[in-house]
Amino acid sequence: MSAAAARPLVTVQSLESDMATDGAAANSVPLPDVMRAAIRPDIVTFVHGQISKNARQPYAVSNRAGHQTSAESWGTGRAVSRIPRVAGGGTHRAGQGAFGNMCRGGRMFAPTKIWRRWHRQVNVTQKRHAVVSAIAASAVPSLVLARGHKIEEVPELPLVVSDAAEAVEKTSAALKVLKQIGAHPDAEKAKDSQAIRAGKGKARNRRYVSRKGPLVVYGNEGAKLVKAFRNIPGVEIAHVSRLNLLKLAPGGHLGRFVIWTKYAFEKLDSIYGTFDKVSEKKNGYVLPRAKMINADLARIINSDEVQSVVKPIKKEVKKAPLKKNPLKNLNVMLKLNPYAKAAKRMALLAEAQRVKAKQDKLDKKRKPITKIITYFCCLSMHLRFWVYLYFIGSLLLVSQSRASLMQPGWKLPCPVYLSHSVICLLQEEASAINSASKSWYKTMISDSDYTEFENFTKWLGASQ
Amino acid sequence: MAEKGGQIVPESVLKKQKRTEEWALAKKQEVAALKEKKSANRKLIYNRAKEYAKEYAAQERELIQLKREARLKGGFYVNPEAKLLFIIRIRGINAMHPTTKKIMQLLRLRQIFNGVFLKVNTATVNMLHRVEPYVTFGYPNLKSVRELIYKRGFGKVNKQRIALTDNSIIEQTLGKHGIICIEDLIHEILTVGPHFKEANNFIWPFQLSAPLGGLERKRNHYVEGGDAGNREDYINELIRRMN
Repeated sequence: MSAAAARPLVTVQSLESDMATDGAAANSVPLPDVMRAAIRPDIVTFVHGQISKNARQPYAVSNRAGHQTSAESWGTGRAVSRIPRVAGGGTHRAGQGAFGNMCRGGRMFAPTKIWRRWHRQVNVTQKRHAVVSAIAASAVPSLVLARGHKIEEVPELPLVVSDAAEAVEKTSAALKVLKQIGAHPDAEKAKDSQAIRAGKGKARNRRYVSRKGPLVVYGNEGAKLVKAFRNIPGVEIAHVSRLNLLKLAPGGHLGRFVIWTKYAFEKLDSIYGTFDKVSEKKNGYVLPRAKMINADLARIINSDEVQSVVKPIKKEVKKAPLKKNPLKNLNVMLKLNPYAKAAKRMALLAEAQRVKAKQDKLDKKRKPITKIITYFCCLSMHLRFWVYLYFIGSLLLVSQSRASLMQPGWKLPCPVYLSHSVICLLQEEASAINSASKSWYKTMISDSDYTEFENFTKWLGASQ
Repeated sequence: MAEKGGQIVPESVLKKQKRTEEWALAKKQEVAALKEKKSANRKLIYNRAKEYAKEYAAQERELIQLKREARLKGGFYVNPEAKLLFIIRIRGINAMHPTTKKIMQLLRLRQIFNGVFLKVNTATVNMLHRVEPYVTFGYPNLKSVRELIYKRGFGKVNKQRIALTDNSIIEQTLGKHGIICIEDLIHEILTVGPHFKEANNFIWPFQLSAPLGGLERKRNHYVEGGDAGNREDYINELIRRMN
């Protein structure tokens, strides 16, 4: 994939003994691909759980326990429970219950057997994946800190030490080395934490507990470093080709503080291979691939490629409005039908007009009566009588024959003559009444659905 | 990283600002365009509604005039046969023959006092004949159609029953047939127009109230003094009581 130059470099911490041989610049080693593998806490937890079962020793109760009696049930009828009872006599034990898990001195429920499945199989690839994850996690400072190691004074993670460390023989020198590289606080923490275990374990050959310190990984077989470091409390050693998950992720928790020697660090690439190069030591094994190559979601989301095709955020969610009745609510009506206002206005005006027109018409028809009455009132009693007669007479004439105008000057027996204007007025009203009644008559006919009207008229004796 | 008055602003923040600006601008333009379109639409709707009002009034007057004319000459003017029916289901759902049940489903009358409009043709008439004891139907007038659609009009949008609170809802579904407002819809239903089928199917079956004042006698036909079957123009009176 990428050249060694593309891989980040890890500086090798130099020790005093080392300085003389090398040049001014400190050595640096490229980071092996193992440390960039996917970190899978789920796989590590699973594999760790399974593997830690493999060092178990079987336990079981004796298979004769609780059955070393010849007890037999007394049966019913003796006012005792039917549990098998110890036969014989002369001792407390006689007649006591036996065999049952509820009985004193009886056999337990489901006596534990040695053929319980103590060990667990784990697929090789899974085991390797777990180890690879644990190694990768050991290179992440936050994980190592979270696991509880004191690495505040460590110059760099992963911590690589020059090969001179492998030659260290004395434990005192080993301690000095630790101090030089800033790993001493962690070892100190482990030493200080030695305590007696709480609980029954102390009586079961697990008396002391302590924290874990650094794990020193070396590359050369038979390095003196093993003997030097092994007596330091908390410190553990491992050969690079035999890395143990139980040491790399103690308790199933990722992020052990690991101190690599340069030789071991360089060997990692050949042991585990790279992402595209098969491992040399593990047959056909390639480092596991992560599910997501780029797991930085925030970066992905805010990248140009994504944002250029993304639609704007919909902040206001449109909710459906409550339905209001347009027939009652004018505003809602106008929203649906803008013409409604004009229509309503026109309808109101038309109605007002219609009412007015009707009123006018009625007034016109009723007006003559009132006028004559006023006239009537002006005249004297004597005249009133004759005017009244005149009026009735004209009406009678109208009803009998077609509209025939009364000749002015219809002679009254009375010597008093009505004024011309009054007579005209009366004639006017009479003709108006006449025409009104005629038109009403006509509409009565035309609007009626009476089909036999022809016959009816003949029967009436009236003509149209 | 760009400098901004001495403070360093990360590029991602700048990019986001630019993006939000662009979106805001696009949205503003969209809103303005929509507004314009809407106002143009309003004018169109206004004119159409006016036209329809005139049309309805003219139709009415024409009918009266023809009748009067005929009467004057001593003849008769027979009303043209109705094109539009309004059916109301008046019986419940229990104990129905499966075939009639199916016909009721086809008519979209699945619930008691559901109402639908229907075109009149041989097919529908025959269907109605089969379901006569379960429904009452007749010829609705303008007021009935208007009031039903305004008060209880719901449309089928995306298979959902959406209230007709805005003309845009109608335009969305029926715009392609030229029906863009509620007045258009009423006109299409009343004068069984060329897109009656789509317009009617758009309208969800009306869910009417039980009639104020009650029904006479569900189990009998209208002509026997009951309620079922064809009651022609008297359906309007029933609609007034049920709407």
